[in-house]
Amino acid sequence: MTLAPDEDLMLQVRDGAGETLGVLFDRYQTPLFNFYSKLTGDRTLSEDLVQEVFLRILKYRQSYRPGTPFRAWVYQIARNARIDHFRKFPRQTALEPEMLPPVLPTDSAQEQQEVELLQRALQQLPEEKREILLLCRFQELKYEEIAALLGCELNTVKTRIHRALQDLRKAFHQLARGTMLKKAEAAAAESIPPRGGHHEV
Amino acid sequence: MKCEHIAELLPDYLQGRLSAELHHNVEAHLEQCADCREEVVIWRKLSLLPVEQPGPASRARFEAMLQAYQAGRSNQPADDSSWRKRASAWSWNVFHWLRSPLGAAAWSAALLAIGVYAGLQVAGSKSHSQDFQAMQSELASMKQLVVLSMLQQQSASARLEGVTWSTRDQQLDPQVLSALLHTLRYDASVDVRLAALDALSRHGRQPQVHKGILDSLQQQQSPLVQVALIDLLLEWRDPDAAQRLQALQQAPNLNPTVRQRVEWAKSKLN
Repeated sequence: MTLAPDEDLMLQVRDGAGETLGVLFDRYQTPLFNFYSKLTGDRTLSEDLVQEVFLRILKYRQSYRPGTPFRAWVYQIARNARIDHFRKFPRQTALEPEMLPPVLPTDSAQEQQEVELLQRALQQLPEEKREILLLCRFQELKYEEIAALLGCELNTVKTRIHRALQDLRKAFHQLARGTMLKKAEAAAAESIPPRGGHHEV
Repeated sequence: MKCEHIAELLPDYLQGRLSAELHHNVEAHLEQCADCREEVVIWRKLSLLPVEQPGPASRARFEAMLQAYQAGRSNQPADDSSWRKRASAWSWNVFHWLRSPLGAAAWSAALLAIGVYAGLQVAGSKSHSQDFQAMQSELASMKQLVVLSMLQQQSASARLEGVTWSTRDQQLDPQVLSALLHTLRYDASVDVRLAALDALSRHGRQPQVHKGILDSLQQQQSPLVQVALIDLLLEWRDPDAAQRLQALQQAPNLNPTVRQRVEWAKSKLN
């Protein structure tokens, strides 16, 4: 049995079969949640925004045109939902490392550390750079679709991806160097005996 | 090939969308250039980032929203039938008036005005932000509809979810507030009542909410809710606090812990 394409399901939703939206919810809630959580670092907000996206799909379902790729359409809604949210509730604090999702234990300690550094490096990027990386790397959007989404030329999208990757590389290496330095200091501190202790003669 | 040229090609290279020749050119450059090579490495590393799962309640929330939406749509015509009657009478009169010669002249003038107005709108569109505001307020009322529907669910956890959801909006419409007050008084589950109290206490500055919350003290049977209400009474420095505490103290079968709390609260008031 082949799965019905998203576009066909969305047309059914548009024509009044609201319950079909459940299938699209199951397909898209995790990618959308990851888009938001990697972008904002806030799980609760990400869950709220996912709900908001599906509410908007219902509200604006009549505006869905046959032939529109559903994925691109839904990310347009997702971006708008986020923009509207932050327009209403401007962020007061910068993203704290504590708000980052926990890293699940993986096979190797080194890989786990790399994931941690990568998450931190990603959060250090300006939001628009983080967003474009998330859209092309995780959300399976074509560059053409991203261009339409961001309202810019195809070449601009490519240049922006390249710049975002450059920045990510720099941030990652800076963090990696910092971590290595800390480790070296800790190792050095361990090898030096504490001063001022009592020594019995 | 230089780095600037690679900048244009790299994104397509990363997604395997280059022709064989260009692909080869990029690889040749990558062998020589450590910075560009590391960009490719970091792109691949991104796949290490874990896929996170939304919380388990997410699906239920979606279901509730969908149900509320569908229920809201099917209820709409029934809710405002009197308004509809008035509206249809009005349109009938207007229709007759429009068929009179005077009406015809007015109609033409109105059409002309609409045309000019539409032209101006197209030339310098300002209506976008108004549309946007209308959309925003429609969405807000949809959310509140969801809360109302969830508060009426059979399962306590769904009602609890409804209460929690209401705390996400800074302003609630009177219908939701009164549903929450109803929940605070009559909900079968203590957890749900406590959550409703918590949600309502954020809106304690509104006199009717303030009064509604404190009036519910007399009806509460659960010691947990009673204690929470006593604490709120103190926190708000309610002018009738002493009187309300006195009344509660006289209630038959008052739980000893609550009685203690009342005495403690009275001592704090003095």
